[in-house]
This record gives sequence, structure tokens and C-alpha cells, in this order.
Amino acid sequence: MTSSPQSGQRAVGKLADPIGADAPLDREALEEIFDDIRTHPRYDSELNGCLNCGICTATCPSAHYYDYSPREIVQLLWTENVEGIYDAMQEKIWACAQCYTCAARCPFGNSPGGLVMVMREVAIKHGMESAKEVLRPFSRVMLKVMTTGNQLAPNMITPEHFPDWGPNISKVEAPLNILRKAIPMPTLHTQETAWAVNLKTSIELYTIWEESGVLDQLETMDENLFDVIVDIMDEKREDYADWLEEQDDDDDDD
Amino acid sequence: MTDPILIVGGGPAGLGAAQALSAIGRKSILVEKEAELGGAPIISGYAKLVPSGEWAKDAIGGMVQRVAGSDLVDVRLGARVTEFAGTPGSFNATLSSGEQCQVSSAILATGFTHFDSINKPEWGFGTHPDVVTTVQVEQMMSSGKGVYCPSDGRVPDRVAILLCVGSRDRQIGREWCSKICCTVSANIAMEIRELLPDCSVYIYYMDIRTYGQYETEYYWRSQEEFRVKYIKSRVAEVTSDGNRLLIKGEDTLVKRPIAIPFDLVVHAIGMDPNLENATIAETFGVDLQKEGNIAQQFSYGGIGLTSRAGVYVAGAAVGPETIDDSIAQGQAAAMAALGMDGGMVAPSAAAE
Ligand SMILES: Cc1cc2nc3c(=O)[nH]c(=O)nc-3n(C[C@H](O)[C@H](O)[C@H](O)COP(=O)(O)OP(=O)(O)OC[C@H]3O[C@@H](n4cnc5c(N)ncnc54)[C@H](O)[C@@H]3O)c2cc1C
Ligand code: SF4
Ligand code: SF4
Ligand code: SF4
Repeated sequence: MTSSPQSGQRAVGKLADPIGADAPLDREALEEIFDDIRTHPRYDSELNGCLNCGICTATCPSAHYYDYSPREIVQLLWTENVEGIYDAMQEKIWACAQCYTCAARCPFGNSPGGLVMVMREVAIKHGMESAKEVLRPFSRVMLKVMTTGNQLAPNMITPEHFPDWGPNISKVEAPLNILRKAIPMPTLHTQETAWAVNLKTSIELYTIWEESGVLDQLETMDENLFDVIVDIMDEKREDYADWLEEQDDDDDDD
Repeated sequence: MTDPILIVGGGPAGLGAAQALSAIGRKSILVEKEAELGGAPIISGYAKLVPSGEWAKDAIGGMVQRVAGSDLVDVRLGARVTEFAGTPGSFNATLSSGEQCQVSSAILATGFTHFDSINKPEWGFGTHPDVVTTVQVEQMMSSGKGVYCPSDGRVPDRVAILLCVGSRDRQIGREWCSKICCTVSANIAMEIRELLPDCSVYIYYMDIRTYGQYETEYYWRSQEEFRVKYIKSRVAEVTSDGNRLLIKGEDTLVKRPIAIPFDLVVHAIGMDPNLENATIAETFGVDLQKEGNIAQQFSYGGIGLTSRAGVYVAGAAVGPETIDDSIAQGQAAAMAALGMDGGMVAPSAAAE
């Protein structure tokens, strides 16, 4: 973490601890972020205290592969180390696999994975660069999900969309389209969607994302994608309204 | 008031009460469900005790002999109290044998139950034979067989002791600290190092609670004199690579997950409320506290008061206690039962 996405201001030493002289943001900004975490409706039920025992980190699959430790996350939150919390939000919180093994084992009944989820939501709300970076490779997936109800279509399963597959994937990838055609299930023959989601369901799903704030989050993260999705879905809503009207007309004709 | 005083439970607390009563010439009836007196230290075969360093069979065995040899103590082994009725100064107790006893008051010294490690399956007890409890290690040492791996009888090169097994864990509904297991574990670690000088002993801890004077004698001495290693980590899992046991944890000071091989893993098991407490509470008409121990009415004027006048409690029956404290509480309950509590009874009981 080197640059500050929000302000170039330095801490002016209003309060010494735990803000160091080279704090990335001023104290108010850091506290505002922490307040959003602390006042999250799930926060109190996910964090009860901490024995500093390390069971969560020992069972955490991500801790084995990344410089990431759920115990550290819990400790930063519990000790209200606002600078450390901000720092963890720049990279560490995105290493969690959301498997919730930690929650199943924590002797204090905490859910470190749940706390990470809260921090992610707040990172998105604050438009943090780390969140944008993580979501960027998934923009096509999101477009697909939100407009068709399909997560991945066969024509998306290509190395260009998944750079993390590495170079050897081409050996497997080549016959994938042909193999898929050979599967004797009619829905699987399509390339653009894995299956068809009917218009009503698709609009209902969209409404859930709208109501639950997912669309607002998307707007903060990727305005272009947001605009595209809104356009497509507005059109779908119109289609649906037309269709409903037609039904009414049919009924009237009877 | 010359009826004897009923003591239920012949462990350190019950023995302490019986000793105190006979010392001042008062009769007591000591009812013990097991076939012998002595409580956990004798029945479970503990080795050298904290803090005296004496063998349990000598130290507690000595108490048993003094109590059993006293004309003033009527011992009933293999017995329970099935009914208890009456008022302070004049109770009638029915024993499981059918015998009726007139007693003036009762002292519950019914102790605790060892935590059953089966309830923490991820720590390997019941799955891997070389995962044992502190009680088993105490028995290995007190039986004179020395410390060995149950799977093949070999002498271990590396022993890990896991603290707080069955304590301080909301996953299994046990939030309390069992108080003595840190010190007992340091004691066991030193004994292992003495018996097997080539064996490394590691203790996995969250906090070390060798409180008061135990700090120097156990925590410090085990390091300075016996080179016992302390690792700040609560183990997450005990598995096996087919050869040795593997401990998975986080070294929270170094901040990395660790997986370390061991020959023998010892669970420092905690003290659960006596499994029979619900029945005991029903029979004697006393309240339990939220964790399931016999509820004590706190009063600086008298010790060992329960929710029922004339019924007193002592020792591990109220929660994790040491032997010394259990004996002292037994003696204090004896004083209270003699009416030396200045007539103080629990407010709720007094209102009856
Ligand atoms: C592994 C381990 C090692 C320990 N080592 C030490 C040590 O070195 N030093 C130390 O100070 N403390 C030690 N302790 C703690 C010690 O065991 C307790 O402090 C002590 O046993 C408490 O004495 P008590 O008489 O209250 O209970 P107990 O020892 O549990 O005795 C209770 C007695 O009551 C009987 N009883 C129970 N229910 C009934 C009933 N319904 N009717 C009739 N009888 C009944 C039981 O059979 C038992 O004999 C250790 C504990 C553990 C787990
Ligand atoms: S939920 Fe996240 S922090 Fe918890 S164990 Fe899984 S990967 Fe680790
Ligand atoms: S498992 Fe729970 S108590 Fe232990 S360090 Fe993690 S959050 Fe804290
Ligand atoms: S005495 Fe030590 S080992 Fe026992 S429960 Fe308390 S902290 Fe854990």
C-alpha cells in the first residue's frame, strides 16, 4: 500500500496511537471506515472478543498460501487499530476464501470470515482501489449473471478471461467446445448461455440485486458496467411489461 | 443438636470436612459412591501433586487413613443419598442401601467430572492411540510404568501438551478456566523431562495461568531447569502422517501456521461439573449455577452456603478448585455446619 485513493493528507499527529506519522489517511477518514465496519448489522454477532489462540489461522486454507491471518484481522478489529484495518483492506481481506472453517472452530464463537465479508462490503462502499482490482476480471461474469441469470457461458471459458489458468490451459481448452456439443442434453448445446432463464425470473433476480444494494455497490465499483446492465435490464422490464399487457388483452378478448 | 453431620463425597473436600469435625469431637457420616475414599487424586490415580510434590497415594492416602481410622467418622462406601428431608438441625437422609440416618446438617463435597476428550474430536483423542489425557499420564507415572506411547509402548522423543482441553471453549459450551491444569501440565512436563532426559516437551498455550506462587515453581522452573518449551498457540487439529502425530496450529508470535510431528500428545483436560449434579440438586433441594455446579451463596460472613439452609457445599462441587482449596473449603463448611457461621444462612433460605 503506497498511494492513498482518498486524500493525500498526512496525519498531523492529533492522536499518536495507533496512527503513525506516515499514516495513509488522516484519522477522521480512517475512523469513518472503521465506523462503517463497526456499525454493520452483523458486526456484533461476528465478534465477541478474542483469546488470541490462533485456531482460526491454523485451520485457514488461505493462511497457508498468502500473507494472511484471520487472527490478525480479528485482533486489528478488536483492538480498533484503524490504521491496521485500513492496511488489511488494501490486500489481505481479499485473500480469504470464505470457507468459514474459522467460524466453525473459533472457541470464542467469532466468525473471522464473516468479519472479512463486512470489511469487503465497506471497502466497496468506499470505492477502494483494492476492491476494483479484485472485481475487474469478473466484469464479464457479472454482466452475464445479471442480465441472463447464467454465471458462465461456454463461450466465456477461455484463457483470455481467466489469466490465472496459466499457459498450459490451451491443451485442455481446445476441444472444450466440441466436447460440449457432444453432451446429449439440449440446453448444453448453446454457447451464449448455459441455460435459459425466463424473463420473469430474470427480472425478479435483478430486483433483488437492486433492493439489496448490490447494484449500488456495482455503480461504485464499475460505472460503465453498471450503465450497460441497467440499459439491458430496463429493456427487459419493458418487454415484460409489454408481455403482461398482451396477456391482459388476451384475457379481455375471451 | 448431637445428630451427626452428613458428608457426601469422600474426596479432598469431604475428607477435609470429616477431619475437621472429628478433630473437635463431632460425629459425621461420610457417604461415598465409589468403593474407596480419596476422590479424584486416588480414584483416578494421580502421581505427584502440586504443590507439595508428594505422591497422591501418600498425601491423600494419609488423609484417607486418618479419616477411616477415626471412631467419629462413619464411612459408607458404594452408597448414595436417595432422599433428604427435614429442617436444619433435624434432617432425615435415606441411603441407597435403604438405611435411614438422622443428621443435623449436610455437606455436599461431590466434586467434579473429568472432561471427556471425545468431545473435541479434532484433537485426535479416540482416533489416535498416542493422544492421551493428563489423567492417563498421571496413571502411567503413578503405576511406575513410566511415560510411553500406548500404540506400541515406545518411549517418546517428542511430547506435546495441549492446554485448555475442555475449558475456555464456547464451541463445547465450556467458557470457564479449569484453574489447575496449567500448573499440573508444567508439573507433568518436568516429571517427563526428569524420567526421559532426551525427550523434548512442548506446551501449547493461550495464556499461562500458573497463578500466585506457582509461577516461579512451575512456569519459570520448568523452563530454567527442565528446558520445557512453551508455544503460544491453541492447536487446531491433531492428525497423523501414518507414522507420527502431526499438530496443526498457528504460532501466534511468529504468526505462521505450523505443522509439527510428535510421538505423544497429551490433553490437559479440564474439570466439568459432576455429571450427577442434576440428581444431587434434586435430592437435596439446592440450586445449581448456570454452568451446572452447585450454586454457592456468596457471603463474607459464611462459606459454603447453598440455597438451602442446613446444606453446605465444598470443593470442586462449586467449580474448578485445587486440592488445598478443596480441603480448606471442606473445613470451612464443617465450621458452618457446626453453626459457627453465626447463624448466617442464605437470604433466600432464611425467608422460607
Ligand atoms: C489431571 C488433574 C490433575 C490434578 N492435579 C492436582 C494437583 O496436583 N494438585 C491440586 O491441588 N489439584 C489437582 N487437581 C485438582 C483436584 O483433582 C481437585 O482439586 C480435587 O480432586 C477436588 O476435590 P473434591 O473433594 O472437591 O472433589 P473430588 O476429588 O472429585 O471428590 C469427590 C468425591 O465425591 C464422590 N461423589 C460424587 N458424586 C457423589 C454422589 N452423588 N454420592 C456420593 N459420592 C459422590 C466422588 O466419587 C469422589 O470421591 C488435578 C485435577 C486434574 C484433572
Ligand atoms: S473463511 Fe476466510 S478466514 Fe475463515 S478459514 Fe476460510 S479462508 Fe480463512
Ligand atoms: S479462533 Fe477465535 S479466539 Fe482464536 S484467535 Fe481466532 S478469532 Fe481469536
Ligand atoms: S488453567 Fe491453564 S490450561 Fe487450565 S483452563 Fe485455565 S488457562 Fe487453560
